[in-house]
Amino acid sequence: MADSWTQSVVCRYFKNGMCREGSNCRYRHWNDGNNETTSSSASSTNNVCRFFKHGICKFGNQCYFRHSTGTIDNNLINGNSIENSTEYASNISTSTARKNIKDNTRIAEEWVKAPEFVPLQVAGSSSTNEASTNSGTSTSSSMSISYAQAVNPSGQASSPSLEPLCPFAEATGICKKRNCTYLHGDICELCNRAVLHPYNEELRKKHTNACVKQHEVDMELSFAIQRSREKSCGVCFEVIMEKASGEQRFGILPNCNHCFCLSCIRKWRQAKQFDNKIIRACPECRATSDFVCPSMYWVDTKEEKEKLISDYKCALSTKDCKYFNKGRGKCPFGNKCFYLHALPDGTKTDVGPPVRQRRNADADVDILRQLILWDFFEERNSRWIYDVDLEDIVSLFSSSEESDWSEFEFPIE
Amino acid sequence: MANIAALRIQREFKEVIRSEEVAKCAIKVELVNDSFTELKGEIAGPPDTPYEGGNFVLEIKVPETYPFNPPKVRFITKIWHPNISSVTGAICLDILKDQWAAAMTLRTVLLSLQALLSAAEPDDPQDAVVARQYKEHPEMFRQTAKHWTYVYAGGPAKMPDLDDKIRRLTDMGIEEHNARVALSSYNWDLERATEQLFS
Repeated sequence: MADSWTQSVVCRYFKNGMCREGSNCRYRHWNDGNNETTSSSASSTNNVCRFFKHGICKFGNQCYFRHSTGTIDNNLINGNSIENSTEYASNISTSTARKNIKDNTRIAEEWVKAPEFVPLQVAGSSSTNEASTNSGTSTSSSMSISYAQAVNPSGQASSPSLEPLCPFAEATGICKKRNCTYLHGDICELCNRAVLHPYNEELRKKHTNACVKQHEVDMELSFAIQRSREKSCGVCFEVIMEKASGEQRFGILPNCNHCFCLSCIRKWRQAKQFDNKIIRACPECRATSDFVCPSMYWVDTKEEKEKLISDYKCALSTKDCKYFNKGRGKCPFGNKCFYLHALPDGTKTDVGPPVRQRRNADADVDILRQLILWDFFEERNSRWIYDVDLEDIVSLFSSSEESDWSEFEFPIE
Repeated sequence: MANIAALRIQREFKEVIRSEEVAKCAIKVELVNDSFTELKGEIAGPPDTPYEGGNFVLEIKVPETYPFNPPKVRFITKIWHPNISSVTGAICLDILKDQWAAAMTLRTVLLSLQALLSAAEPDDPQDAVVARQYKEHPEMFRQTAKHWTYVYAGGPAKMPDLDDKIRRLTDMGIEEHNARVALSSYNWDLERATEQLFS
């Protein structure tokens, strides 16, 4: 008659109390396995009235559905024979259910004090049972314990030092709950928040240490801003912190203490019309520096400067050198390059010392010719234009003795 | 003009006007046009030099690439100095050429020029005639420079005997400045100057 699989699925019409197919339904009706003779009316009485469950059913006794708070299992035991008695009981329970709802709304205000989490329906049924025996007692009179205690059944075992702090008070310092059962921390003098655990010395210390550290970082930053604020660039004469947002960077020269913005000092060091000795020298004091270190803030002391420069070199050493190009190119700076010389598989390679330039003009010309030829092949073969323009390379190779690192871009920050 | 150049000149202009050198009337800067590309500088002749008491006017042209390139400066006031052309006013000073630094300003340039007036570099001359005189006849050089300062820069020292020699030549129909140049170049030897002028 019916497919086997449909027999395992409960008929949704039947479930809702009415199925016109009756026993011919392809889907399973209640008790189909045990008892083939369930009628639609009988099945409907097995279903509890939804409205009754909420305390109000305008049909009262005439209701098509069962008025009972008992479970389906109970109904099955009760059966149809004692329908009348259950209906009587349901009348009583209707009134008690209403009372319970009232109680619940009153109690809801003190839900935090609830002995444990009790789902509404179960609470209703249990109080129905209680209501018949001793209607005087209510949940509100029972001992109030916090959620933390409810979760941890052996309430006494948990020490107060492990109790969590009220998240509201911790985050904002304000807890609107008048009788909040959570712990409210003491105010931390540094961050002004109620985060110090009143009983746990370790947590207190931990927070204080973190706060002090954060405070130190903040102070350092504000000192850095303070000492940088007024500094102006020796080339464009503008106050660096007041420049356009992309240009508020300092170019720190390692060998002197003159202040420039990064863009100006880089532009100066790329000037083609002067000797390398001139452009690699500080525009103010002529002290020669091999590279420019970008920085968000001005550094005053030697220690700060050393740290800045070592951080800079460290950051560069993780970036691929664009000249070495993962082994495809040749880096004129050799193993003195600040950038990473690694093959595509990640292994670092030592390319040896940088190619020393001879002062002799012929040597320079030779190298240039090579480059131009190479460039020409490159372009002819792949029509791919190398992203470093020739002028860059020329200036690189024409630089005598030491190399100028400032030609590199530093995209971090 | 590139923005940075104009902005920087504006700032420098304010700076130089406030500076103590201006207060002492040692240097002066004036705008020639509104775009800050051309300025007029003025320096006072340094004390204890033949240029003392004179005021020397300079033409300053600011390139678009300033301050990455030096300003172009020349003397408008005629001056007798080994490193400055007596004809064009062109200046031979390293910082205005290959020794320029981007941190230098109009003020430092003018002060450098003032220093150049008190310490000439005859071994790196702009005007070979002047340089030779400076080395071979220092006293004659001093006289000449003083005379030029008096005539062109409003200097105090009047040189009656030199004026006399010039008048002799102007009487012959020679233009005054040409007469002065010729006499200065020949160590105020009237005969040789006349010879040169009429040859």
